[in-house]
Amino acid sequence: MLLMALPAFIGFMTFFITPAVMSFGYSVTNWSVYRPEPSYVGLKNFQTLFSDAQALAAIEHSIRYALIMTVVQNTLAIFLAVLLNKKLMMANVLKTIFFLPAVLSILVVGYLFKFIMTSAPSGMLNSAIGAFGGAPVNWLGDPNLALYSVLATQVWQWTGWAMVIYIANLKSIDASLYEAARIDGAGPMQVFGRVTLPLLYPATSFNVLMSLIGGLKMFDAVYAMTRGGPGYASETIMTTMISTGFKAGRNAYACAFAVVFFVVVFTMSKAVTFVLNKWEAAIT
Amino acid sequence: MKKTVLICGFLILVLLCGNLVAATSALPGGVLRWMAYNTRSTRVTYLAHLAEELPDIHMQYDHVPVDHFTVTLSVQLLSGKGPDLIEGGGETRLLASMDRLLDLTDEPFLGQYRYAGLAPFSVDGRVYAVPLQSWFEGIYYNKAIFAEHGLAPPATFDEWIELHKKLREAGVKPQTMGAQSWASLMKQSIGIVNNEFYARPENAGFDAAFDRGEAKLAEAWLPAVTLWSRMIDEGCLTPDMLDYSDEQALMEFASGEAAMWESGPWSIGEILRINPHIQLGMFPFPTVEGSTGWLVGGPGSALSINVDSPNMEAALRVLEATATQEAQLALIADNMGEPYLEGMQVDFGPVYAGCADAFALEQVYAPWTAAWTFGNPIVEAYGKALQEVLAGSKTVEEALAEADAVNAHMRAALEAIE
Repeated sequence: MLLMALPAFIGFMTFFITPAVMSFGYSVTNWSVYRPEPSYVGLKNFQTLFSDAQALAAIEHSIRYALIMTVVQNTLAIFLAVLLNKKLMMANVLKTIFFLPAVLSILVVGYLFKFIMTSAPSGMLNSAIGAFGGAPVNWLGDPNLALYSVLATQVWQWTGWAMVIYIANLKSIDASLYEAARIDGAGPMQVFGRVTLPLLYPATSFNVLMSLIGGLKMFDAVYAMTRGGPGYASETIMTTMISTGFKAGRNAYACAFAVVFFVVVFTMSKAVTFVLNKWEAAIT
Repeated sequence: MKKTVLICGFLILVLLCGNLVAATSALPGGVLRWMAYNTRSTRVTYLAHLAEELPDIHMQYDHVPVDHFTVTLSVQLLSGKGPDLIEGGGETRLLASMDRLLDLTDEPFLGQYRYAGLAPFSVDGRVYAVPLQSWFEGIYYNKAIFAEHGLAPPATFDEWIELHKKLREAGVKPQTMGAQSWASLMKQSIGIVNNEFYARPENAGFDAAFDRGEAKLAEAWLPAVTLWSRMIDEGCLTPDMLDYSDEQALMEFASGEAAMWESGPWSIGEILRINPHIQLGMFPFPTVEGSTGWLVGGPGSALSINVDSPNMEAALRVLEATATQEAQLALIADNMGEPYLEGMQVDFGPVYAGCADAFALEQVYAPWTAAWTFGNPIVEAYGKALQEVLAGSKTVEEALAEADAVNAHMRAALEAIE
């Protein structure tokens, strides 16, 4: 039986574990395309990284992006799931419509919204705002807005996907629990807060972790829509890491970035898991 | 047990096949692998000319996008799998410092070139590449729009700003820019730096000092870039341009929705495809005093040879065949640019007549390709910082300081191999 897993194990070791361990090793060297034989430099790359304002901004953008993405996407998805779980005439059609963006490539969505959000006269979003008498907005060129513009497109794309998982979870909740709650005089908000939400724990824990990790590793939408700009306003950990490693050739520094990325993902995932476990303990 | 043996055997077979493929993929003598950041379409006539002149040499032209060119090339060279011929540019000095390029100093064909074309590819007096042709960038303008409003190309920087105001008042968008790309802002600001800093003889040694880490842009360039930033303060360049791509800007200019756009000859085909009737002109970046302005540019891509190439002789024959008027004309046929061959001049045509004085005075310069070892990463950091200047979240001084910081980082990376 164990032999059956051997090919997958070899692939996993070769293409995931070994490169990951090598990244940790290279992060404490001075390896670059200009210095092919690395030597040990201790924590110098990490010192440089934590004194580099752009690198710190990229880490901060990724964390902010992931947190907002997680909260907004899951709140909207739960709202839609509860709404469409009712016996509505168009429920199935609406579920399909909300889920559809998830089948598109992130890059395609990115380029599509770049076209929609541009401040050029052809920009559809600003044209619509203008039709209602509003002033045009520099969605992708304003450093205070660019990251949120990208985020909005990703919320649009993935909320339907999360909604489907919540709906699957909702289907598994015993209807008698709702009936009992109503007999006890609970209003709709109480039913949601005391019955629906606690029993959505399995879907919530999965969706929250997925959107958190997906948000932290965001690259493609940013690349398609803003290229990390204007300036460094929408750079994320991944865009900076790729630009440092593959464009500037500072390999060891990029590895240090990868280690920081691992620590950020690990810490945030652990924190969220801890909260979710506490929640699970409280409802069981 | 049998399964284990089978799996291990399969894995060994895979590894052996990999080695076999690697071994047989080595190019046979006379076949040259050529790596370039320019697309093949810009070299079609030239490659056809070489094929005619050197029928015994088969060439494989590999295009690698400029964003990844330096790293892809460096990795291939360091792993011993590098191309024979390298059509690069700004990274030539860096690769020469890493002893990856063949020293061409004593090759007879170098005598065919003007020194101005060889200097950017020289380290410590040794030459490591030969220039293919120059590139230049100035301000394209729509002659019909200018004529309609009684305007002429500006003679001074102040007139240029006035021109923007007059066009705006007339309901015309004066200038468009694809500022989503950091390169546009970077090049335009350096156009003014050329005029107000590099034009002065006392600054002739600045680039060498900067390259050694002994001078800073934040001190030397500050007055010129501050002057250029009036383009932002006066509303000639606006934050909405930060989400314009180069393609959008080209479209806006070509379709007559904007009167000016900064670019170079490589765009003219697309402009004319969109609007065959457009009346185009180009002027250099205007100076404060009204003297002849400069263009941004200089020697563009250049050919160098991998020092470990197994096809050294064939590669040298390609360089020799390139140092002829016929080869240079073939290059120009696909991409307009000035050749660096001694005694050879080309007529750029009526579109570029407004830049004739700048060409005659050789006022075409781009410090990051001409003189800086780490030109590409430095100008990328500078250009991205200028985007923040346009957005209002950074000062010109901070932008220049960021470029200085990248120079320091990259120098630290190179110092260990020197």
